[in-house]
Amino acid sequence: MALTQQEFAFVSGLVRREAAIVLETGKEYLVEARLLPLARRTGTPSVSEFVARAQRERALADQIVDALTTNETSWLRDREPFSAFTDSVLPDLAERRTPVQKLRIWSAACSSGQEPYGLAMLLEESLKSSRQYEILATDISAEMLERAKTGRYSQLEVNRGLPVPMLVKYFQRAGTEWQVSESLRRNITFQKVNLAAPLPPVQPFDVVFLRNVLIYFDLETKRSVLRRIRSLMRPDGWLFLGAAETTIGIDDGFERVVAGRASAYRPRAATTAPVGATRKG
Amino acid sequence: MTSPTTDDLQAITEQVWLSYLDPEGTNPFLPSEQAPTMPCVIAAVSVTGAWEGHVVMSFSTEASKKASSALLGMEDEEVTTDDIADAVGELVNVIGGNVKSLLPDGSLLSLPHVATIDEGVNKWPAAVEVCRLQGSWQNEPIAISVWTSKSTG
Amino acid sequence: MVIDDSRAMRLILRRIVTQLGFEVVEAGNGREALDLLESMDQPPQVALIDWNMPEMNGLEFVTAVRSQERFRQITLMMVTTESEHGQIVRALAAGAHEYVIKPFTPEAITEKLALLGLVPSGTMS
Repeated sequence: MALTQQEFAFVSGLVRREAAIVLETGKEYLVEARLLPLARRTGTPSVSEFVARAQRERALADQIVDALTTNETSWLRDREPFSAFTDSVLPDLAERRTPVQKLRIWSAACSSGQEPYGLAMLLEESLKSSRQYEILATDISAEMLERAKTGRYSQLEVNRGLPVPMLVKYFQRAGTEWQVSESLRRNITFQKVNLAAPLPPVQPFDVVFLRNVLIYFDLETKRSVLRRIRSLMRPDGWLFLGAAETTIGIDDGFERVVAGRASAYRPRAATTAPVGATRKG
Repeated sequence: MTSPTTDDLQAITEQVWLSYLDPEGTNPFLPSEQAPTMPCVIAAVSVTGAWEGHVVMSFSTEASKKASSALLGMEDEEVTTDDIADAVGELVNVIGGNVKSLLPDGSLLSLPHVATIDEGVNKWPAAVEVCRLQGSWQNEPIAISVWTSKSTG
Repeated sequence: MVIDDSRAMRLILRRIVTQLGFEVVEAGNGREALDLLESMDQPPQVALIDWNMPEMNGLEFVTAVRSQERFRQITLMMVTTESEHGQIVRALAAGAHEYVIKPFTPEAITEKLALLGLVPSGTMS
């Protein structure tokens, strides 16, 4: 059954508001092709009825946005922040923490999971085997978290910026897909978190990755998100933002430092005695 | 070892389309009851060794042309029969290679074979169909099927 | 250097790496590629190598290149439908540096070349 004009208008309005993506008339078939699996999964008999339900149920509307906006994301293609993490940040933390202290890392917008699993691989490769770590991976989308939790990736996804030695070491084939190994999954906890709302109480973090998220918020929200994140960081912790993002002019509580070839941000008090990092800006 | 299923074919086909024929994800291959009728273009690779059978794609003449121009980055009217043979041959090679990864170790893939069939017979004697995905792309029918020889299936 | 027995695939790969600023030479199998290497004044920075080809396959080509000191500098990247775990391990053991499974998007090739330091990571899509 084809989508009516009204149903298509609802869907295109939704993705325009939520993701700034324009779906022109004529793309009805695309909407149908992408939403059919969702309708089936939720036991809704047709795409039309799924769209009708989504007008009443927020969670289903979120699924529509995800289904129509998701692209494969890359694993470790942005070399600078990841080499800063392994070459500057981890040696710094190894010096500052006692050998038995667990390192705590937060992947604050983990999407389909490439970032937390990628960080886990880097930690496995870089840390002494006696050093324990834990990663909290959060996202606003329950659908994304479910996907990330399964640790299953398509062939197209494992082609994207994942060094092949990591593929053979940390993945197994599972039918047409690849499955992340248990050795990585056991150190990662997935949790739904809305960064724009008060955060749940947790132990402070040594490193926070919050890349390509702030760009979607207005200035006030950026400021409150950064303030809340700072309150969950160790005083000598590290924050990584996307290349086009900064705390400068938004939250004075952070200071930008150079780490390798990347910029990182640290709570201001920590930078009075920098170790393994120099000031900038 | 379980046999490849229509779901497997669907997953593989979606990836091939996103990679080579529909990079924007706006013209996906849409499964339906529609199948190509003659005249059609057939592209096939055979699997030998631990598993024996064929991976076959069939295209309406128009679909083979559209697929070739999209893959090679040409205009529809520029596409020659050699281009079609190269392009759909490579498509079935990639799909066949991905099907092979689901089959037992020690299975080997042949070089692709491409043929135009105007009328008459198109059969895979001594083989049975394992799974099939058919539908349309840009309103032209395309089918993908996997066959195994009766003795090893 | 792009090594694949399929003209269509050579064309696709040529298009991607040309856009990244590489000059491209093509070969239809491992044997042709070795002959071409012998005739070149300066070896290429990187070879993109199919696995299943007539005469000399990609794995044999990788082994042959790795056995010669003067070809040390060439980065070897398999681009193939061979995607079993064990096959990838074999290619790495033979001396391949990276591996892309077909089908691939242009970004996959670009990002792997960036991981290898052959294109700046700023040129990403």
